Amino acid sequence: QEEAQAIDQELFTEYKFSVDQLMELAGLSCATAIAKAYPPSSFTTSQPTVLVVCGPGNNGGDGLVCARHLKMFGYEPTVYYPKRPSKPLFEGLTTQCQKMDIPFLPEFPTEAALIDELYGLVVDAIFGFSFKGAVREPFGSILSTLERITAPIASIDIPSGWDVEKGKADGLQPDMLISLTAPKKAAMHFTGRYHFLGGRFVPPALQQKYALNLPPYPETDCVLQLT
Amino acid sequence: CPHLLSQAFPLPSLPRKQPTVLVVCGPAQNGAIGLVCARHLRIFDYEPTIFYPKRSPDPLYRDFTTQCEKMDIPFLSYLPTEVQLINDAYNAVVDAVLGAEAEAGEGREPCATILATLKHVRIPIVSLDVPSGWDVEAGSSGGISPDVLVSLSAPKRCARRFLGRQHFVAGRFLPYDVQKKFELNPPEYPGTECVVAL
Repeated sequence: QEEAQAIDQELFTEYKFSVDQLMELAGLSCATAIAKAYPPSSFTTSQPTVLVVCGPGNNGGDGLVCARHLKMFGYEPTVYYPKRPSKPLFEGLTTQCQKMDIPFLPEFPTEAALIDELYGLVVDAIFGFSFKGAVREPFGSILSTLERITAPIASIDIPSGWDVEKGKADGLQPDMLISLTAPKKAAMHFTGRYHFLGGRFVPPALQQKYALNLPPYPETDCVLQLT
Repeated sequence: CPHLLSQAFPLPSLPRKQPTVLVVCGPAQNGAIGLVCARHLRIFDYEPTIFYPKRSPDPLYRDFTTQCEKMDIPFLSYLPTEVQLINDAYNAVVDAVLGAEAEAGEGREPCATILATLKHVRIPIVSLDVPSGWDVEAGSSGGISPDVLVSLSAPKRCARRFLGRQHFVAGRFLPYDVQKKFELNPPEYPGTECVVAL
Protein backbone atom coordinates (compact mmCIF):
# COMPACT_ATOMS: atom_id res chain seq x y z
CA GLN A 1 0.00 0.00 0.00
CA GLU A 2 2.85 2.38 0.85
CA GLU A 3 4.57 1.72 -2.45
CA ALA A 4 1.40 2.47 -4.37
CA GLN A 5 1.05 5.71 -2.44
CA ALA A 6 4.71 6.57 -3.07
CA ILE A 7 4.35 6.05 -6.81
CA ASP A 8 1.26 8.23 -6.86
CA GLN A 9 3.11 10.93 -4.94
CA GLU A 10 5.98 10.92 -7.42
CA LEU A 11 3.63 11.13 -10.36
CA PHE A 12 2.05 14.22 -8.85
CA THR A 13 5.04 16.00 -7.37
CA GLU A 14 7.98 15.06 -9.62
CA TYR A 15 6.25 14.43 -12.91
CA LYS A 16 3.59 17.12 -12.39
CA PHE A 17 0.71 14.98 -13.55
CA SER A 18 -2.63 16.35 -12.46
CA VAL A 19 -5.16 14.15 -10.69
CA ASP A 20 -7.54 14.92 -13.56
CA GLN A 21 -5.15 13.51 -16.15
CA LEU A 22 -4.48 10.24 -14.38
CA MET A 23 -8.09 9.79 -13.31
CA GLU A 24 -9.24 10.20 -16.91
CA LEU A 25 -6.74 7.62 -18.15
CA ALA A 26 -7.62 5.27 -15.28
CA GLY A 27 -11.37 5.54 -15.88
CA LEU A 28 -10.90 5.00 -19.60
CA SER A 29 -8.87 1.84 -18.89
CA CYS A 30 -11.64 0.51 -16.69
CA ALA A 31 -14.30 1.10 -19.33
CA THR A 32 -12.09 -0.47 -22.01
CA ALA A 33 -11.38 -3.55 -19.91
CA ILE A 34 -15.08 -3.96 -19.18
CA ALA A 35 -15.88 -3.65 -22.89
CA LYS A 36 -13.40 -6.41 -23.67
CA ALA A 37 -14.62 -8.83 -20.99
CA TYR A 38 -18.35 -8.05 -21.10
CA PRO A 39 -19.26 -6.87 -24.61
CA PRO A 40 -22.81 -5.47 -24.86
CA SER A 41 -23.89 -8.56 -26.81
CA SER A 42 -22.99 -10.79 -23.84
CA PHE A 43 -25.55 -9.24 -21.48
CA THR A 44 -28.53 -11.35 -20.40
CA THR A 45 -30.51 -8.23 -19.50
CA SER A 46 -32.46 -6.78 -22.43
CA GLN A 47 -30.18 -3.71 -22.52
CA PRO A 48 -26.49 -3.57 -21.53
CA THR A 49 -27.27 -1.90 -18.21
CA VAL A 50 -24.48 -1.32 -15.72
CA LEU A 51 -24.70 -0.06 -12.13
CA VAL A 52 -21.66 2.01 -11.16
CA VAL A 53 -21.32 2.42 -7.39
CA CYS A 54 -19.01 5.34 -6.57
CA GLY A 55 -17.36 5.87 -3.22
CA PRO A 56 -16.31 9.12 -1.52
CA GLY A 57 -12.77 9.43 -2.87
CA ASN A 58 -10.64 8.99 -5.95
CA ASN A 59 -11.87 5.47 -6.61
CA GLY A 60 -15.33 6.99 -6.94
CA GLY A 61 -13.90 9.54 -9.36
CA ASP A 62 -12.45 6.71 -11.45
CA GLY A 63 -15.96 5.24 -11.45
CA LEU A 64 -17.50 8.46 -12.77
CA VAL A 65 -15.00 8.61 -15.64
CA CYS A 66 -15.62 4.92 -16.33
CA ALA A 67 -19.39 5.46 -16.44
CA ARG A 68 -19.00 8.26 -18.99
CA HIS A 69 -16.85 6.15 -21.31
CA LEU A 70 -19.16 3.15 -20.90
CA LYS A 71 -21.97 5.35 -22.17
CA MET A 72 -19.90 6.28 -25.21
CA PHE A 73 -19.13 2.62 -25.82
CA GLY A 74 -22.85 1.85 -26.05
CA TYR A 75 -23.65 0.68 -22.53
CA GLU A 76 -26.41 2.10 -20.32
CA PRO A 77 -24.74 3.03 -17.05
CA THR A 78 -26.54 4.22 -13.93
CA VAL A 79 -24.56 5.77 -11.10
CA TYR A 80 -25.07 5.61 -7.33
CA TYR A 81 -22.97 8.33 -5.71
CA PRO A 82 -24.11 8.93 -2.11
CA LYS A 83 -21.10 10.85 -0.72
CA ARG A 84 -19.83 13.53 -3.08
CA PRO A 85 -16.71 15.57 -2.24
CA SER A 86 -17.32 19.27 -2.85
CA LYS A 87 -14.26 19.68 -5.02
CA PRO A 88 -14.35 21.01 -8.59
CA LEU A 89 -12.87 17.79 -9.99
CA PHE A 90 -15.71 15.60 -8.70
CA GLU A 91 -18.38 18.19 -9.37
CA GLY A 92 -17.12 18.43 -12.95
CA LEU A 93 -17.14 14.67 -13.45
CA THR A 94 -20.67 14.45 -12.03
CA THR A 95 -21.89 17.19 -14.36
CA GLN A 96 -20.28 15.48 -17.36
CA CYS A 97 -22.21 12.29 -16.54
CA GLN A 98 -25.48 14.08 -15.91
CA LYS A 99 -25.20 16.04 -19.17
CA MET A 100 -24.74 12.72 -20.95
CA ASP A 101 -28.08 11.53 -19.53
CA ILE A 102 -26.54 9.05 -17.13
CA PRO A 103 -29.09 8.68 -14.31
CA PHE A 104 -28.01 9.07 -10.68
CA LEU A 105 -30.04 6.90 -8.30
CA PRO A 106 -31.50 8.71 -5.27
CA GLU A 107 -31.18 5.56 -3.20
CA PHE A 108 -29.44 2.22 -3.35
CA PRO A 109 -31.56 -0.79 -4.30
CA THR A 110 -32.31 -2.56 -1.02
CA GLU A 111 -32.66 -6.04 -2.46
CA ALA A 112 -29.86 -7.93 -4.13
CA ALA A 113 -32.47 -9.56 -6.37
CA LEU A 114 -33.54 -6.16 -7.67
CA ILE A 115 -29.98 -5.36 -8.73
CA ASP A 116 -29.73 -8.71 -10.51
CA GLU A 117 -32.95 -8.02 -12.39
CA LEU A 118 -32.06 -4.52 -13.52
CA TYR A 119 -28.34 -4.67 -14.24
CA GLY A 120 -26.09 -7.03 -16.16
CA LEU A 121 -22.93 -5.81 -14.42
CA VAL A 122 -21.99 -3.82 -11.32
CA VAL A 123 -18.87 -1.66 -11.20
CA ASP A 124 -17.40 -1.39 -7.70
CA ALA A 125 -15.75 2.03 -7.50
CA ILE A 126 -16.18 2.43 -3.76
CA PHE A 127 -12.77 2.14 -2.11
CA GLY A 128 -9.31 2.16 -3.60
CA PHE A 129 -5.76 1.54 -2.50
CA SER A 130 -5.80 4.23 0.20
CA PHE A 131 -8.53 2.44 2.12
CA LYS A 132 -7.76 1.74 5.76
CA GLY A 133 -9.79 0.84 8.79
CA ALA A 134 -13.52 0.52 9.25
CA VAL A 135 -16.13 0.87 6.54
CA ARG A 136 -18.43 3.79 7.23
CA GLU A 137 -22.11 3.95 6.29
CA PRO A 138 -23.72 3.89 3.85
CA PHE A 139 -21.02 1.73 2.35
CA GLY A 140 -21.25 -1.06 4.91
CA SER A 141 -24.85 -1.79 3.91
CA ILE A 142 -24.03 -1.37 0.22
CA LEU A 143 -21.23 -3.90 0.43
CA SER A 144 -23.46 -6.34 2.31
CA THR A 145 -26.01 -6.15 -0.48
CA LEU A 146 -23.34 -6.48 -3.18
CA GLU A 147 -21.98 -9.58 -1.49
CA ARG A 148 -25.35 -11.23 -2.19
CA ILE A 149 -25.88 -10.38 -5.84
CA THR A 150 -25.33 -12.90 -8.60
CA ALA A 151 -24.60 -10.33 -11.33
CA PRO A 152 -20.86 -10.02 -12.02
CA ILE A 153 -18.91 -7.31 -10.23
CA ALA A 154 -15.95 -5.47 -11.73
CA SER A 155 -13.82 -3.85 -9.03
CA ILE A 156 -11.63 -0.86 -9.72
CA ASP A 157 -8.13 -1.38 -8.31
CA ILE A 158 -9.10 -3.09 -5.04
CA PRO A 159 -12.26 -5.07 -4.26
CA SER A 160 -13.93 -2.66 -1.86
CA GLY A 161 -13.76 -3.62 1.77
CA TRP A 162 -10.67 -5.77 1.27
CA ASP A 163 -7.48 -5.08 3.18
CA VAL A 164 -5.23 -3.58 0.51
CA GLU A 165 -2.50 -6.15 1.19
CA LYS A 166 -4.23 -9.17 2.71
CA GLY A 167 -7.60 -9.31 1.00
CA LYS A 168 -10.80 -10.43 2.72
CA ALA A 169 -11.93 -14.00 2.44
CA ASP A 170 -15.53 -13.28 3.51
CA GLY A 171 -15.79 -10.01 1.60
CA LEU A 172 -16.76 -9.05 -1.93
CA GLN A 173 -15.81 -11.64 -4.55
CA PRO A 174 -15.68 -9.76 -7.84
CA ASP A 175 -15.62 -11.47 -11.23
CA MET A 176 -13.24 -8.87 -12.61
CA LEU A 177 -10.43 -6.79 -11.16
CA ILE A 178 -8.88 -3.86 -12.96
CA SER A 179 -5.56 -3.14 -11.30
CA LEU A 180 -4.44 0.42 -11.91
CA THR A 181 -0.78 1.22 -12.49
CA ALA A 182 0.33 -2.12 -11.03
CA PRO A 183 -1.43 -4.95 -9.19
CA LYS A 184 -1.63 -4.45 -5.42
CA LYS A 185 -0.76 -7.18 -2.94
CA ALA A 186 -4.44 -7.92 -2.43
CA ALA A 187 -4.63 -9.04 -6.07
CA MET A 188 -2.94 -12.29 -5.04
CA HIS A 189 -6.19 -13.19 -3.30
CA PHE A 190 -8.33 -12.42 -6.33
CA THR A 191 -10.17 -15.48 -7.60
CA GLY A 192 -12.43 -13.98 -10.27
CA ARG A 193 -12.32 -14.71 -14.00
CA TYR A 194 -10.79 -11.52 -15.36
CA HIS A 195 -7.77 -9.60 -14.12
CA PHE A 196 -6.80 -6.60 -16.24
CA LEU A 197 -4.07 -4.05 -15.83
CA GLY A 198 -4.92 -0.44 -16.63
CA GLY A 199 -3.51 3.04 -16.17
CA ARG A 200 -0.91 2.96 -18.92
CA PHE A 201 0.80 6.14 -17.84
CA VAL A 202 3.71 5.08 -15.69
CA PRO A 203 6.94 6.48 -17.13
CA PRO A 204 9.59 3.80 -17.82
CA ALA A 205 11.97 5.37 -15.28
CA LEU A 206 9.38 5.04 -12.52
CA GLN A 207 8.66 1.44 -13.48
CA GLN A 208 12.34 0.66 -13.08
CA LYS A 209 12.72 2.56 -9.83
CA TYR A 210 9.97 0.56 -8.16
CA ALA A 211 10.83 -2.67 -9.99
CA LEU A 212 7.25 -2.99 -11.15
CA ASN A 213 8.15 -5.61 -13.79
CA LEU A 214 4.98 -4.94 -15.71
CA PRO A 215 4.42 -7.12 -18.76
CA PRO A 216 4.19 -5.13 -21.98
CA TYR A 217 0.86 -3.73 -23.07
CA PRO A 218 -0.22 -4.82 -26.54
CA GLU A 219 0.47 -2.07 -29.14
CA THR A 220 -1.48 1.06 -28.28
CA ASP A 221 -4.02 -0.60 -26.00
CA CYS A 222 -4.64 1.06 -22.68
CA VAL A 223 -5.36 -2.25 -20.95
CA LEU A 224 -3.58 -5.57 -20.63
CA GLN A 225 -5.38 -8.79 -19.78
CA LEU A 226 -3.39 -10.59 -17.09
CA THR A 227 -5.77 -13.55 -16.69
CA CYS B 1 -3.04 11.23 -32.09
CA PRO B 2 -0.54 8.62 -30.93
CA HIS B 3 -3.09 5.85 -31.46
CA LEU B 4 -3.50 6.75 -35.06
CA LEU B 5 0.19 7.35 -35.52
CA SER B 6 0.64 3.69 -34.78
CA GLN B 7 -2.26 2.83 -37.06
CA ALA B 8 -0.88 4.87 -39.90
CA PHE B 9 2.74 3.95 -39.27
CA PRO B 10 2.89 0.72 -37.31
CA LEU B 11 6.17 0.32 -35.48
CA PRO B 12 7.57 -2.58 -37.53
CA SER B 13 7.01 -0.72 -40.79
CA LEU B 14 9.13 2.30 -40.02
CA PRO B 15 12.05 2.72 -42.41
CA ARG B 16 14.63 3.83 -39.85
CA LYS B 17 16.01 1.40 -37.30
CA GLN B 18 14.82 3.50 -34.37
CA PRO B 19 11.15 4.55 -34.27
CA THR B 20 12.05 8.24 -34.09
CA VAL B 21 9.38 10.90 -34.49
CA LEU B 22 9.84 14.67 -34.41
CA VAL B 23 7.02 16.53 -32.68
CA VAL B 24 6.97 20.24 -33.49
CA CYS B 25 4.92 22.19 -30.95
CA GLY B 26 3.61 25.70 -31.39
CA PRO B 27 2.99 28.26 -28.63
CA ALA B 28 -0.71 27.62 -27.97
CA GLN B 29 -3.20 24.79 -27.47
CA ASN B 30 -2.22 22.89 -30.62
CA GLY B 31 1.32 22.72 -29.28
CA ALA B 32 0.12 21.49 -25.91
CA ILE B 33 -1.79 18.68 -27.61
CA GLY B 34 1.49 17.83 -29.35
CA LEU B 35 3.18 17.52 -25.93
CA VAL B 36 0.54 15.08 -24.72
CA CYS B 37 0.87 13.14 -27.97
CA ALA B 38 4.65 12.93 -27.54
CA ARG B 39 4.27 11.52 -24.02
CA HIS B 40 1.90 8.78 -25.18
CA LEU B 41 4.19 8.00 -28.12
CA ARG B 42 6.96 7.41 -25.62
CA ILE B 43 4.73 5.04 -23.64
CA PHE B 44 3.97 3.23 -26.89
CA ASP B 45 7.74 2.71 -27.38
CA TYR B 46 8.31 5.27 -30.10
CA GLU B 47 11.26 7.65 -29.68
CA PRO B 48 9.81 11.13 -29.87
CA THR B 49 11.88 14.31 -29.88
CA ILE B 50 10.20 17.64 -29.29
CA PHE B 51 10.88 21.08 -30.74
CA TYR B 52 9.03 23.63 -28.61
CA PRO B 53 10.64 27.02 -29.17
CA LYS B 54 7.98 29.30 -27.71
CA ARG B 55 6.68 27.86 -24.48
CA SER B 56 3.30 28.80 -23.14
CA PRO B 57 3.19 30.24 -19.61
CA ASP B 58 -0.07 28.36 -18.92
CA PRO B 59 0.53 26.17 -15.83
CA LEU B 60 -1.24 23.19 -17.36
CA TYR B 61 0.96 23.33 -20.46
CA ARG B 62 4.07 23.86 -18.33
CA ASP B 63 3.18 20.64 -16.50
CA PHE B 64 2.83 18.83 -19.81
CA THR B 65 6.37 19.99 -20.60
CA THR B 66 7.66 18.68 -17.26
CA GLN B 67 5.98 15.34 -17.83
CA CYS B 68 7.78 15.01 -21.17
CA GLU B 69 11.13 16.10 -19.76
CA LYS B 70 10.87 13.67 -16.87
CA MET B 71 10.15 10.92 -19.34
CA ASP B 72 13.49 11.61 -21.00
CA ILE B 73 11.99 12.99 -24.18
CA PRO B 74 14.66 15.27 -25.65
CA PHE B 75 13.82 18.87 -26.47
CA LEU B 76 15.75 20.28 -29.43
CA SER B 77 17.25 23.72 -28.90
CA TYR B 78 16.89 24.57 -32.57
CA LEU B 79 15.26 23.14 -35.66
CA PRO B 80 17.76 22.36 -38.40
CA THR B 81 17.08 24.37 -41.51
CA GLU B 82 18.87 21.66 -43.46
CA VAL B 83 15.86 19.58 -44.37
CA GLN B 84 17.99 16.54 -45.14
CA LEU B 85 19.00 16.33 -41.48
CA ILE B 86 15.36 16.01 -40.50
CA ASN B 87 14.67 13.48 -43.25
CA ASP B 88 17.60 11.38 -42.07
CA ALA B 89 16.95 11.47 -38.35
CA TYR B 90 13.19 10.92 -38.12
CA ASN B 91 10.52 8.65 -39.58
CA ALA B 92 7.74 11.18 -39.37
CA VAL B 93 6.97 14.68 -38.15
CA VAL B 94 3.97 15.56 -36.01
CA ASP B 95 2.83 19.08 -36.89
CA ALA B 96 1.38 20.55 -33.69
CA VAL B 97 2.34 24.10 -34.52
CA LEU B 98 -0.88 25.97 -35.22
CA GLY B 99 -4.48 24.93 -34.77
CA ALA B 100 -7.91 26.24 -35.63
CA GLU B 101 -7.58 29.24 -33.33
CA ALA B 102 -4.48 30.65 -35.01
CA GLU B 103 -4.80 34.09 -36.48
CA ALA B 104 -2.11 34.73 -39.04
CA GLY B 105 0.19 32.89 -36.69
CA GLU B 106 2.14 31.69 -39.62
CA GLY B 107 3.41 35.16 -40.25
CA ARG B 108 5.07 35.41 -36.86
CA GLU B 109 8.36 33.89 -35.83
CA PRO B 110 9.35 31.28 -35.01
CA CYS B 111 6.39 29.67 -36.78
CA ALA B 112 7.21 31.18 -40.16
CA THR B 113 10.68 29.67 -40.32
CA ILE B 114 9.45 26.32 -38.95
CA LEU B 115 6.74 26.11 -41.58
CA ALA B 116 9.16 27.11 -44.31
CA THR B 117 11.37 24.17 -43.32
CA LEU B 118 8.48 21.71 -42.92
CA LYS B 119 7.26 22.52 -46.41
CA HIS B 120 10.35 20.80 -47.75
CA VAL B 121 10.67 17.66 -45.63
CA ARG B 122 10.27 14.41 -47.50
CA ILE B 123 9.21 12.26 -44.55
CA PRO B 124 5.48 12.06 -43.76
CA ILE B 125 3.85 14.85 -41.75
CA VAL B 126 0.92 14.21 -39.42
CA SER B 127 -0.99 17.43 -38.76
CA LEU B 128 -3.09 17.95 -35.66
CA ASP B 129 -6.47 19.48 -36.45
CA VAL B 130 -5.38 21.95 -39.09
CA PRO B 131 -2.28 21.76 -41.29
CA SER B 132 -0.28 24.58 -39.73
CA GLY B 133 -0.28 27.72 -41.77
CA TRP B 134 -3.45 26.82 -43.64
CA ASP B 135 -6.46 29.13 -43.41
CA VAL B 136 -9.00 27.28 -41.24
CA GLU B 137 -11.75 27.68 -43.82
CA ALA B 138 -10.09 28.09 -47.18
CA GLY B 139 -7.04 25.89 -46.90
CA SER B 140 -3.81 26.85 -48.47
CA SER B 141 -1.90 26.48 -51.66
CA GLY B 142 1.82 26.40 -51.23
CA GLY B 143 1.59 25.55 -47.56
CA ILE B 144 2.67 22.31 -45.91
CA SER B 145 1.27 19.08 -47.34
CA PRO B 146 0.63 16.61 -44.57
CA ASP B 147 0.36 12.90 -45.24
CA VAL B 148 -2.08 12.37 -42.40
CA LEU B 149 -4.60 14.75 -40.84
CA VAL B 150 -6.16 14.19 -37.43
CA SER B 151 -9.23 16.34 -37.08
CA LEU B 152 -9.99 17.09 -33.45
CA SER B 153 -13.65 16.97 -32.43
CA ALA B 154 -14.77 17.40 -36.03
CA PRO B 155 -13.15 18.23 -39.37
CA LYS B 156 -12.61 21.92 -40.09
CA ARG B 157 -13.64 23.44 -43.41
CA CYS B 158 -10.08 23.44 -44.72
CA ALA B 159 -10.03 19.65 -44.43
CA ARG B 160 -11.78 19.57 -47.77
CA ARG B 161 -8.51 20.62 -49.34
CA PHE B 162 -6.58 17.86 -47.63
CA LEU B 163 -4.90 15.68 -50.22
CA GLY B 164 -2.86 13.35 -48.06
CA ARG B 165 -3.16 9.61 -47.52
CA GLN B 166 -5.27 9.34 -44.37
CA HIS B 167 -7.77 11.54 -42.58
CA PHE B 168 -8.77 10.57 -39.06
CA VAL B 169 -11.20 12.20 -36.71
CA ALA B 170 -10.69 12.10 -32.94
CA GLY B 171 -13.89 13.28 -31.35
CA ARG B 172 -15.37 10.40 -29.49
CA PHE B 173 -15.48 12.38 -26.28
CA LEU B 174 -18.11 14.81 -27.56
CA PRO B 175 -21.42 14.47 -25.71
CA TYR B 176 -24.42 13.61 -27.90
CA ASP B 177 -26.24 16.87 -27.36
CA VAL B 178 -23.20 18.83 -28.54
CA GLN B 179 -22.98 16.62 -31.61
CA LYS B 180 -26.66 17.18 -32.37
CA LYS B 181 -26.58 20.90 -31.66
CA PHE B 182 -23.80 21.48 -34.15
CA GLU B 183 -25.03 18.81 -36.56
CA LEU B 184 -21.71 17.09 -36.54
CA ASN B 185 -22.93 13.68 -37.75
CA PRO B 186 -19.81 11.84 -36.73
CA PRO B 187 -19.13 8.36 -38.09
CA GLU B 188 -19.32 5.29 -35.87
CA TYR B 189 -16.22 4.65 -33.85
CA PRO B 190 -15.15 0.99 -33.99
CA GLY B 191 -15.16 -0.89 -30.67
CA THR B 192 -13.44 1.15 -28.00
CA GLU B 193 -11.26 3.15 -30.44
CA CYS B 194 -10.97 6.88 -29.90
CA VAL B 195 -10.17 7.65 -33.54
CA VAL B 196 -11.85 6.66 -36.77
CA ALA B 197 -10.54 6.87 -40.32
CA LEU B 198 -12.68 8.93 -42.67
